[in-house]
Amino acid sequence: MRTSILSIIALLTFALAPAWADHHVSTVVDGLDNPAGVAIQPETGHLFVSDSGASRVIRVVDGKAQDVITGFPVDVYGKGPMYNIGPLGLLFLDKNTLVVGGGGLKDGEELLRVYKVPAAGEPAIGADKMAASFNLAENDDVKGEGNFYALAAIGNNVFVTCNGDDTKGWVARATIKDGTLTNYERFLATKEATEVDAPVAAAISPRGELVIGQMGEITVPGDGLLTFYNAHNGKMLLNLATGLSDITALAYSPKGQLYATDFMWTDTKEGGLFQLISKEEDGKQSIEAKRIETLDKPTAIAFGLDGSLYITVIGTGEGDAKGGKLLKIEPGL
Amino acid sequence: MRYITCLLFAISCATAGAADEYELQYPLGLKPMRLPKDNELTEAKIELGKQLYFDPRLSRDDTISCASCHDPKKGWSNGDHFATGVRGQRGGRSAPTVINSGYSYFQFWDGRAIMLEGQALGPIQNPIEMDLTLEECVEKLNAIGGYRKQFQQVFGTDVTSAGIAKAIASFERTVLSGNAPHDKFKAGDESALSEAAQRGSKLFFGKANCSACHAGPNFSDAAFHNVGVGMDKDEPDVGRHSETKLLGDRGAFKTPTLREIARTAPYMHDGSLKTLKDVVEYYSKGGHSNPQLDEELFPLKLTAEQKADLVTFLKEGLSSADYPDIEPPALPK
Repeated sequence: MRTSILSIIALLTFALAPAWADHHVSTVVDGLDNPAGVAIQPETGHLFVSDSGASRVIRVVDGKAQDVITGFPVDVYGKGPMYNIGPLGLLFLDKNTLVVGGGGLKDGEELLRVYKVPAAGEPAIGADKMAASFNLAENDDVKGEGNFYALAAIGNNVFVTCNGDDTKGWVARATIKDGTLTNYERFLATKEATEVDAPVAAAISPRGELVIGQMGEITVPGDGLLTFYNAHNGKMLLNLATGLSDITALAYSPKGQLYATDFMWTDTKEGGLFQLISKEEDGKQSIEAKRIETLDKPTAIAFGLDGSLYITVIGTGEGDAKGGKLLKIEPGL
Repeated sequence: MRYITCLLFAISCATAGAADEYELQYPLGLKPMRLPKDNELTEAKIELGKQLYFDPRLSRDDTISCASCHDPKKGWSNGDHFATGVRGQRGGRSAPTVINSGYSYFQFWDGRAIMLEGQALGPIQNPIEMDLTLEECVEKLNAIGGYRKQFQQVFGTDVTSAGIAKAIASFERTVLSGNAPHDKFKAGDESALSEAAQRGSKLFFGKANCSACHAGPNFSDAAFHNVGVGMDKDEPDVGRHSETKLLGDRGAFKTPTLREIARTAPYMHDGSLKTLKDVVEYYSKGGHSNPQLDEELFPLKLTAEQKADLVTFLKEGLSSADYPDIEPPALPK
């Protein structure tokens, strides 16, 4: 009975049909420095991007980047290749309230910041001008948290993937109250649940489950997991191998189909956008990851109000030019 | 009519295969292993692999078998700093245990081989280990009637190098260790671990940060990490970097399993630490500093009692009463 219910849940939260095959990818803006987050502003539909290595959050209007928040702390991620990272995950609570996950400070000192964003055309604000901020400090029992990579919200809860304590793999949770956040705390020990490292991607399924992309080890291919949790009590509902290597982002399309990006650290030429399709194998539910597009180090995805898919890629720059881009796939996925 | 003949042939083949099919029995604590589709396990193939594994005729001077450096009596390692091959030649790295090696996608300390089939032929061809070309090895084994007969039965061919690899890999997949006191304790037997081991377990999965890398059922993430060992030398062994050429992989080696760790001294890729006490002491200090030192290495500030508890957990908690102490078989003539 339990298996049957879980299967139904999973079937309903996955796409059963392959994606629309004929799609067009265009560049919205380029010259970005390790972009690592994208969000759509409610009401305006404006695109906001964490231009992470450039320590800023930008608004993209008519293909041009405008500074919105500047001066975030920047740190180096990786031992070679190395990437400068500052602001990471983005999430709008409402039209004017933006939550920014930080990646530029030490674990334990890192901040989840809440901003009232200036309107289009107004001057940018400094990163220290947040309305509220939160950290997850170390204590006697747990390490401090950092690299707040992805944010997802349902009801009054915001979920944040963290990359501090690699023995636990925390997803943190904050409560939305009075237009801001409160009670930021560790919620889900994903590594204890899955025995695989590093929650990175996060999304909310059409049925309201918290869906986490577990990155696995960056030196090991094919170990990425897709895990469904009850968003209220944190109970793991389903944990599936994907065959993907380093899942960096998840998003459901307006049609309810699930997409993921794979950074593919061991061979970034093989990174890309994938549709995750539910299938049955040997009587068990499994996932087929169907490649939609090959991408150069993808980091984040979000569907726009019209169903367009926006993707940030770190890319490969030449000389001093930065290779980061915001890409767009037309509606239809 | 021809169609019917083909169909009958197909059915008879399938039936013959199924009769010999071998189903791995996983001890408590281990999960099903990913098996290659082109090398199904059979009783006859495993038996053939066992003979090949223990047979010194796979070396130039008939003195070295796989078991010489991966000895069941010595934790499926060799109890020495380095591997010793034909004519007493010494390698530069310790012999990793074969226990649970079927769980690892990458093989060797530097991951230069993929899965056990990719690993098995390496030492045979290594001039300081077994020192045969594959052609010489195949010719030697084809001259042994008992092997030719078994290869015909198992693979339908005379001895081939591909068959040697598949047979040895099949045998090695059966070398499993689980059902240790840790597994029993986790399954609910509160008497399975002493109080000191329980304290050590809490440290292992918490403050001591061991499970950041020694994770999952096999106590290994099967990934590569620079833990600083040997990096204080003028010309250190660069490990994984020699394969990937990625700067971040400099000095990185594959995380070994910790199951049966009490039997596999000395420790680390270079056998430089004689006891588990030495290993815990090394990690407590945070490892040798170097630019690629893994971020999971840092001073742990463990007390003497905590170090002792960790060692107790490693020795007591991960040593199974069902240790795979496999005796050498009679070798074919």
